[in-house]
Amino acid sequence: MASGDAIVGHVVTFGRVLREAGFEIGPGRSTDAVRALGAVDLARRDDVYFSLRQTLVSRRDELAVFDRAFDAWFLRAPVQPASGEQAPEPMLRLVEGAASDGEDGGDEERDDDALEVGASGQELLRDKDFAELSDVELVRLRELIERIARTRPLRRSRRTRRDSLGEGVDVRGMIRRSLRTGGDPVDRPLRARKKVPRRLVLLCDVSGSMDSYARALLLFLHAAVGAGRGVEAFAFGTRLSRLTPDLATRDPMAALARCTEEVVDWGSGTRIGASLREFNEVWGRRGLSRGAIVVVVSDGWEREDPGLVGREMARLARAAYAVIWVNPLKGNPDYQPLAGGMRAALPFVDRFLAGHNLRSLEELATVLAGIERRHAA
Amino acid sequence: MTHGSIDELEAALREADYLPDRGLATALYLALALEKPVLLEGDAGVGKTEAAKALATALDARLIRLQCYEGLDVAHAVYEWNYPRQLLHIRAAQEGTVTESELFGPEYLIRRPLLEAIDTDDPVVLLIDEIDRADEEFEAFLLEVLSDFQITIPELGTIRARRRPAVVLTSNRTRELHDALKRRALYHWIGHPSIEREIAIVRLRAPGIPERLAVEAAAFVRGLRSLDLAKPPGVSETIDWAMALDALGRRELDAEVVQQTLGSVLKYHEDIDAVRDATLARLVEEARAASAAS
Repeated sequence: MASGDAIVGHVVTFGRVLREAGFEIGPGRSTDAVRALGAVDLARRDDVYFSLRQTLVSRRDELAVFDRAFDAWFLRAPVQPASGEQAPEPMLRLVEGAASDGEDGGDEERDDDALEVGASGQELLRDKDFAELSDVELVRLRELIERIARTRPLRRSRRTRRDSLGEGVDVRGMIRRSLRTGGDPVDRPLRARKKVPRRLVLLCDVSGSMDSYARALLLFLHAAVGAGRGVEAFAFGTRLSRLTPDLATRDPMAALARCTEEVVDWGSGTRIGASLREFNEVWGRRGLSRGAIVVVVSDGWEREDPGLVGREMARLARAAYAVIWVNPLKGNPDYQPLAGGMRAALPFVDRFLAGHNLRSLEELATVLAGIERRHAA
Repeated sequence: MTHGSIDELEAALREADYLPDRGLATALYLALALEKPVLLEGDAGVGKTEAAKALATALDARLIRLQCYEGLDVAHAVYEWNYPRQLLHIRAAQEGTVTESELFGPEYLIRRPLLEAIDTDDPVVLLIDEIDRADEEFEAFLLEVLSDFQITIPELGTIRARRRPAVVLTSNRTRELHDALKRRALYHWIGHPSIEREIAIVRLRAPGIPERLAVEAAAFVRGLRSLDLAKPPGVSETIDWAMALDALGRRELDAEVVQQTLGSVLKYHEDIDAVRDATLARLVEEARAASAAS
């Protein structure tokens, strides 16, 4: 049996390997791993494997990376690069702007460029179209975007707190006070339901036709996720991908880099209907959209069946508290919602907004703060 | 009752009619050895809740279950004062001689699962079921309880656990849990079982059903899981279905009976729609081939 020091050495080094692959492994986890190894038979490989896995991994999506690292470290298999190491390349591509990678285009949607480029020509950052921002300007925008994204609509919580204008009697407080009056509830303190932020679900189209807006909107997503719990973010293109865990890091650029990695269909065609269906079936069914404000960010260019977009939007609208559709193309005064997917979706949308520049994001924030349910419950 | 090794615990769980794989047995064993909560995640129906129940049986401990839901609060999870009784007591005393300490004493306390699990001398397995359904505020509170194993009631003071309960948390992953809570717990992902294990589980939970039927049912459900379904069936669906087929007097699968009983395996209309005609016939064929081979 290996000596105690040798085990500690192994765990510490292995922990470092995992950290490089993007795991969050603090001293507490390492200590647990050492203790766990102390409790099992080190001669049994599967016991060692599960002991380490159960103490060092805390998310299902980390399992594959863990397995690879375990094989490499303990079984001396040839070291394969962990998937996390591929991050820098897509990040560069993303940060350096969409303009440089026009070669992977081939999007027929560009036909409508004339309508899409709704640049006002003004130099004011606030009114500048996101598609025209330089990287420096994007960094300057970041702070403003973060401030906007902090605005959150409220819902009433099941929990209550004492409130002199409340609608329910604080029974516990009343009993306590009634002692002074011989059991007569003379003084009746009231309680009211607390208000907590309503859940916010963001579904962001990152396909080719949205490429130029994706950078700024992902900053918005990142800031929104960072603004508090109860925010869920998804990206979609040809399929749907959940971004919340990726956006939960402090550094938006790193988060953007991880997003590009996760959304493998970055820059390809759009299947809005299929993506919405996936959201409804996988996440909506689990209750994620129930009572939530759902914000769909997309230009509405559906490659396949616009009818499916309509059907899935209807499902989404039934579950959600309110649905907002943000379409950067709407920034152009001449824009008409002619795209099939957009037309199919509009009947189920409570608010239809632009979102092509900072001013329109401010408008979105204002709407988010005060939105009321329009459609029937 | 304590178990000195993973093997012993595994045997005790089998004794309790639960067939864990090595990973799950290790997770439960480590939870006991390290005195840490264990978080079990996995699709619905893979046996997360059953694992906690079996653990309680194996340890000869009391199972205390806290079912989480949206809006769950301290009054329903920890304790609540029995207001009607307090009011009656004040009324009965008339003269105003009731003191606060008398009124907020243990006899007026309604004990909910968390307090029950902490304030006891018996061995306890505390099952916190579907934690992902509870509000985030409650999760933060739970983290506190699981860190210190103590609960403070303003009127009574702090109650500390005299022996730490074994804690099993389950989650269906409807949302990501707070990192702090995950750091506090061991983590085990329960996948769907291998075909051999699933057959063994079906035969254990539905004794007396023909072996061929068990094999074919397990193989068919396995085939279903390879399809792109909204809700892939879990082991519990396989068990229910095998029992249903047995109750109909079937000894093997055919397309017709599968069509009739598909509702006990697939719970969504869209999924049932997706498994029709050709797909269904193919899966039945494969399941029958599997039993012929075994």
